Amino acid sequence: MIGFLLKRLGWMALTLWVVFTTSFFLMRAVPGGPFDSEKKLPAAIKRNIEKRYQMDRPLIQQYWNHLWATMRCDFGPSYKLEDYTVNDVIAQGFPVSASLGILAMTFALSLGLVSGVVSAVLRNSVYDVGFMVAATIGIAVPNFVLASLMIVLFVFFWPVFPAAGWGELRQIILPALCLGAPFAGYISRLTRTGMLEVLGLDYIRTAYAKGLTTREVVIRHALRGAILPVVSYLGPATAGILTGSLVLEQIFALPGMGSHFIEAATQRDYTLAMGMVMVYTFLLFVMNTLVDLSYSMIDPRVEVE
Amino acid sequence: MSISYQVRRFFPLFLVATCILAVAWVISFGTLPKADFAFANGDQIKTVDPAKATGAPEGRIINALFEGLLRQLPVDQPPDQTGSIPLKPTTRGVAESYTVSEDGLTYTFLLRETAAWSNGRRLTADDFVWSWRRTLHPETGSKYSYQLYYIQGAQAYNESRLEVDQPVEIELDDRRPHPSGQNQLFPRGTMLYGLLREIRDVATVTTSDSAQGGTEETTASGPRQIYVVDVKPTENGRVQWNVPGRLQAFSPHPELAKTTAGEAVQRVHHVLPDFSRTVHIRAPNPQTLVVTLNNRTPFFPDLVAFYPLYPVCRECVETHGTPAWTLPENLVSNGPYQLEFRRIRDRVRLKKSQTYWDAANVELETIDAMAVKSETTSLNMFMNGQLDWATTVPNPVIPELMKRNDFLSAPMLTVYFYRLNVDRPPLDKAFVREALNLAIDKRRIVEKVTSAGQQPAQSFVPPGIRGYRSAFCGEYNPARARKLLAEAGFPNGSGIPKIQIVYNTSEAHRDIAQVISEDWNVNLGIQTELRNLEWGTFLDTLSEGDYMVARSGWIGDYPDPNTFLDMFVTDGANNETNWSNVRYDELIQAAQAETDPAARMEILHQAERVLMQELPIVPIYFYVSINMVNPQIKGFSANIQDIHPLHILSRQK
Amino acid sequence: MVAPDSHHDQTPAGAPRLTGNPAQPTRKIRDLDAYVGYIEEASRQQGISHWQDARRRLKKNPVAMVSLCYLVGVSVVALLTPLLPLQSPQSIGISSSPQSQDRKLQAPSWEKVNFDLEKPLAVYDQRIARLRQQIAESRGAEQTELQQQLQVLEKSHPFLKLWNEPGVITRGMIRCRLALFGDKCIPSICGTDILGRDVLSRVLWGSRVSLAVGLVATLVSLMIGVTYGAISGYLGGWVDALMMRIVDVIYSVPFIFVVIFLITILNEDSIRSRLDKYGVDQIMIFFLVIGALYWLTMARVVRGQVLSLKNEAFIDAARTIGASRWRIIQRHLLPNVMGIVIVYLTLTIPAVMRFEAFLSFLGLGVSPPDVSWGLLVNEGLTVITPVKIYYWLVTFSGLALALTLFALSFLGDGLRDALDPRMKNRD
Repeated sequence: MIGFLLKRLGWMALTLWVVFTTSFFLMRAVPGGPFDSEKKLPAAIKRNIEKRYQMDRPLIQQYWNHLWATMRCDFGPSYKLEDYTVNDVIAQGFPVSASLGILAMTFALSLGLVSGVVSAVLRNSVYDVGFMVAATIGIAVPNFVLASLMIVLFVFFWPVFPAAGWGELRQIILPALCLGAPFAGYISRLTRTGMLEVLGLDYIRTAYAKGLTTREVVIRHALRGAILPVVSYLGPATAGILTGSLVLEQIFALPGMGSHFIEAATQRDYTLAMGMVMVYTFLLFVMNTLVDLSYSMIDPRVEVE
Repeated sequence: MSISYQVRRFFPLFLVATCILAVAWVISFGTLPKADFAFANGDQIKTVDPAKATGAPEGRIINALFEGLLRQLPVDQPPDQTGSIPLKPTTRGVAESYTVSEDGLTYTFLLRETAAWSNGRRLTADDFVWSWRRTLHPETGSKYSYQLYYIQGAQAYNESRLEVDQPVEIELDDRRPHPSGQNQLFPRGTMLYGLLREIRDVATVTTSDSAQGGTEETTASGPRQIYVVDVKPTENGRVQWNVPGRLQAFSPHPELAKTTAGEAVQRVHHVLPDFSRTVHIRAPNPQTLVVTLNNRTPFFPDLVAFYPLYPVCRECVETHGTPAWTLPENLVSNGPYQLEFRRIRDRVRLKKSQTYWDAANVELETIDAMAVKSETTSLNMFMNGQLDWATTVPNPVIPELMKRNDFLSAPMLTVYFYRLNVDRPPLDKAFVREALNLAIDKRRIVEKVTSAGQQPAQSFVPPGIRGYRSAFCGEYNPARARKLLAEAGFPNGSGIPKIQIVYNTSEAHRDIAQVISEDWNVNLGIQTELRNLEWGTFLDTLSEGDYMVARSGWIGDYPDPNTFLDMFVTDGANNETNWSNVRYDELIQAAQAETDPAARMEILHQAERVLMQELPIVPIYFYVSINMVNPQIKGFSANIQDIHPLHILSRQK
Repeated sequence: MVAPDSHHDQTPAGAPRLTGNPAQPTRKIRDLDAYVGYIEEASRQQGISHWQDARRRLKKNPVAMVSLCYLVGVSVVALLTPLLPLQSPQSIGISSSPQSQDRKLQAPSWEKVNFDLEKPLAVYDQRIARLRQQIAESRGAEQTELQQQLQVLEKSHPFLKLWNEPGVITRGMIRCRLALFGDKCIPSICGTDILGRDVLSRVLWGSRVSLAVGLVATLVSLMIGVTYGAISGYLGGWVDALMMRIVDVIYSVPFIFVVIFLITILNEDSIRSRLDKYGVDQIMIFFLVIGALYWLTMARVVRGQVLSLKNEAFIDAARTIGASRWRIIQRHLLPNVMGIVIVYLTLTIPAVMRFEAFLSFLGLGVSPPDVSWGLLVNEGLTVITPVKIYYWLVTFSGLALALTLFALSFLGDGLRDALDPRMKNRD
C-alpha cells in the first residue's frame, strides 16, 4: 500500500513536471511575452516589472527559478490581477469551487445510487422507466442549458433560490444541482446495471433463501457488489465536475477557481492560468488515487498494484 | 488479515462519514451578513489607486473611498423632464472654501480642519502636493496625469522636459529594495538638487551588448544624454539654492555612466525639473493649497473633483509599497467609506468610515460593489432583490424595462465610437475612413439595437454642453461612401483586407458590431471579422495599438468639449489611434490659452471639425445612462456624467 | 468490454493468398489441397458473419434505430443546407426606415417572408458575362484593366452579402436552390433573433459547424488513437510500456484546461497571423487541438484489443505464412478492432460537440459571423430574463444540440450492445 502510494506520488511528480514544462515554454513562446501591452510604460517601470516577474534573466535560469518556486507551491504574481498573487487567487477561489464540487458530488451520489437501486429492484416499473429517462436527459443536456432551465424555474417562476452570487449556502444549491445532474444520471445507470447483474448471482439467491427481506439483501449484500463500477466511475466524475464547474461558476457568477481560470485564459493571464492547470492536475491525481484506494477497500479481490 | 477485514468492513461507513464531514464543512461557511446597499459594479476592478485607475467601475469605488478638494454633488433643484439633476463641484469635499484670483489663474483652497485619514492623522495640504507629485512622476505611469497639465510646470515634470539653467531634481541610482519586497514605484534613491547647466546629447556611441541583457533593454533604459548640473548643498533638509554648488555630470543611461572616461558620470534614475520650484502646487501652511494654472481653465473645479486628483496617504504608500498599499488591511483613505474586503470577482465591501469629516450624514453602513460581468445576471439579481442598483441591463429587454418606474434613463455625456487604427492600411487613407463612417446606418443601431433613446452621433462631442456647437461628419449615405471608397482606390471594396473589429466582451457590443459589419459588407463590400476580448486585455490591445478597428466609449470627465477633444492630440495617452494632425494640436493648444469663453468654444469647434474631416474615429451614438434603482433608495438621481455618489444615498425604511 | 472478435478474419480471404503464394514449398501440396477443400467447404457453410449479426441486433433496437435515422437526417440536412429554401443566416432584418417591416425578435410565425435574390443575381450574372466577353475580345493593357474590373465586380456578388464567404460548392448549391425554389423561402417558423435574423436558418447553418467540429475532431483523434494503440499493442515489450506510460501521464492532466490554455495561446494575435498564412483558421485550430487530445481513450482501448488479438491463432497463422508486420496490423488487427472503435466514436463525437458548445459558450469557440449551436444557445441564454423570455432563441438551438447528443449516446449504447458477442442470441 505504501509502495502504491509512493509510486503514485512519483507519477504525479512526473505529470506535474511535464505540465509545468510544457506550459512554461508555451507561455514564453508567445512573442513579446506577457508585457507586450506595457510597451508604453517608461523604461524604468518596465525594468521593475520584468524584475518582478524575473523576465530579465536567461530563459533557462527563469525556468529553474520558476520550477523551484512552483515546487514550494509559490506560483508567483498574477500578470493581470496586479494586486494579487496566483496563490491569493487560488486561496480565494478554492473554497468556493470545493463547496460546489462537494455538494454536487454528494447530490450525484445520493440521487444516483437511490434511483439506480430502485430502478433495478423494481425493474420495468414506472419508476424504472421514469428514472432512466431522467438519467438520460441529465446526461445528454449540456449543463448550461440545464442551468438556464433551472434559473427560469427556481428563480423566476418559483423564487426559492437567489439568481447568482456567493456568500450563503442557498446560493450554491442550484449550481450544485446543475453540476451534479449528469453525474447523477451516469451513477444511476451504472448502479442499475450493476445491481441487475448482482441480483442474478447465486449468493443473492442464497441470501433470499436464508429468509432475508429484500431491503436487507439489497443493502447488505447486493449493493456492495453493485457499487464497484460506481466507485471506479468516481475518478472520471471528479474530472467532470472540475470541468463542469467552469461553466456553472460563470452562469451563477460564483467567484470560484473555474471563473478565475476562464478569466485568466481569456485575459491571457499566463501565470494564473498555469498555476490553475497545475492545481487542477494535482487535484485530479489525488482524487484518482483516493478512488483507487477506496476501490481496493471495497472489493477484496482488488489489490492495489 | 483480520485488521484488513475490519478496515474493509468499516470502510463504507468511513466514506459516508467523510462525505457528511465535507458537507458540514461546506455548510459551516459563515454566511456573509447582507450589506445595506448592493450594486452591480461591472467587471472586476483593476485597482483602487486613484493615480492608476481609468475605468468607471474603479471610479465608483474610489469616489467612496477617497475624497478630493471638491465633491461632485447634485445641485439642489428639482429634476428636469428626463429626471436628471445636474452635478456641480461643491465645497463639500476636503476644501472648506476656495478662491480664484482675478485673472482666473490662481486657485487657493482652504482645507477643512476636520478632514482626516482613516488612520486618524489630519489631512493637510502637503498630502495633496505629495499625491499630485506622485501622479505626475513619470515612474508612476498614471494614464490620467494629463489632467494636471493645466497646472504650471506639471506637463514638463511629467514628460521630463528639461531646460538649461532650470532647477532640477536628481534621483541617484542607489535604491534599496523595498522592505516589503513590493515594487514601490515612487522614488526612494538619494535625491540631489541643483541647476542644470548643460545637456550633452551622446547620440552615437558604439555599444557592445551588456552582459546581462539584450540591446533592446539597454536602449530602453534611458535617453542617451549627459546632464551637467550645478549641485547645491543641502542643509537640515533644505536646499541652499543661493550657495555656489559643485558641477557634476549625470546620465540615466547605464553605458554613458560607465564608459565616458576622464569625467565621472554618475548613473541616475531620473533627472527631472525640480518639483517644488517648477511645478506651481504650493502648501504655504497645512491648511492652504495654492495652485497656479497655465491658462484660465473654467473647468478646473470639475477636475479637482475628479478622482485622478484625489489625495493618497503618503505613509501608507511608502510603508507598504505598490500595489500592496491598496490591500484592505493596508489601505488608508480619507473618504466616507473604508475598504473592508475585496474578493476577486465577487465583491468589494465598503464600510462607513468613522474618521470622515461628514460621517454624521452618511447613512448606509455597508455597501457591496458586486463584480457582475454579465448584463443578464445583473438584471436577474436586481429583479431577485439581490441588488439595489443595476448599472447595465441586456439590450433586448430595454423596451420592456422602460415601462417600469425603477428604470432611470437620461441623456449622458458619453459617446460610443469606433477607433480606426490609422497605421493599418487601408485605414491610413482619410477617404476610406470617411467611407466607413458614411456607410454605417447609425439610426438603425440606436432605434433597433440599443433602443433606449440613444441619439445617432454625427459628431464626437455630445450635445448638451452649454455654448458649444458640435461639428458634423455626415449622415448615412451609402452611395457617397461607395464613391469615396472607389476614389481611394478600392472600388467595391476590392483590395481591402478583412477588417477585424475588436470589442470588449458584451452582448450589446457584439450586436452593434454585427450590424456595422453588415453595413460595411452590403454597402462597401468589405468583409469583417469580429473579435471579443476581456476588458483588461481589450484595454491593453488598445493602448498597444494592436488592432484595426476597436469599439470604444468615452465618458466626459467634466462638462466641457475639451474632455472629448484633448485626447486626440498627437501621442495623447488616450489617443490610441496613432492619428496625428498638426493643425488639430495647435487648435487644442490655442483653446487652452484662450481666455474668452465664446472664442474658446469656437476654437474647439474648429478642432472638432478637423477631427470630423479626418475621422480617426467613427462616432456611432451618444449614450443614455441606464440605471435600475430600487425605489426604496433615496438620493439617487440621473445626471449627464452618470456619476452617483454613494455616501448621499439612503434607504427608506 | 467487447470480447475479441476472432472469427472475422478466418474467412476464405486468406486461402487464395496461401495457394497463390509462389514462395511456398511444394512438398506439402497434398495437405494444401486438402486444406483448400476444407476452406471451400467452410465458406459454403458460413452462416451469419459477426457484422451481419450485429446489424440484425441493432435493427431490433428501436431507440438506436430512431437515433440513427435522426443522425443521418441531421447530417443530410446539414450537408444540403445551402440547397434548402432558407433565409439568409446573417442578413440583418432590422432597418432604420420606418416603412420597412421590422423583424427584430419576432415570435415563430408562418408569415410569408420576401427573399429577393433571383433578380440581383440575374443582373450580376449578365454583367459578369458581358465583361468576360469583353475580356475575351480585348488585348494587352486593355485586357488586364478589364480583368481588374472583373475582380472588382466579383466582390459585389449578391451571395457575399447574404452568406458568410461561401465557397465554390456552396455557391453552386445556392444556385441550384434558386433554380429549384426561386425566390420562395421558408418563413421564420422558429422566430428571429435580436438583429432580426432567421433562427431556423441560423440553426441549420450552425449545424454544419457543430457537426463538422464533432466529426473532424473525432476523425483526427481516431487516426492518432488507432495508430498509436495498434503500434503500441502490436510491438509490445518496452515500446508498449513506454507508449502507455506517456498516455498515462497525459491522461492524468485535466485536459480541458490544457485545451483552453492552448487555444488561448494559439489565438494570440501574432501566432494567429502566422498560422493564417498557412490557411489555418480558428475552427481548424479547434479541430486539431481537440483531436490531438481526445485520442487517449481510443489508444488505450485499441491497444488492449490488439494485445489480446495478437496471440490468437489466426495472427500466428498469418505470421507463419510470412505476412509483414504492417500487413498484419492493417489486414488482420485493425478490422477486428473496428467494432470497439465505432462504439468509442459514438461516444467521442458527442463529447467533442459538447466541448465545442462549452467553449463557444465561454466565448472561446467560433466567433461571428460564423455560427454554431453552442454560440446560438449562448445568445439565447443572454435574453432569458424575468422581464421577458424569448423562448425561441434558446429552444430550437438547445433542442437541436440536445437531441443530437441524445441520439449519439443512444446509438452508442445500441452499437455497444449489438457488437457485444455475449449479447448474441440474447434479447
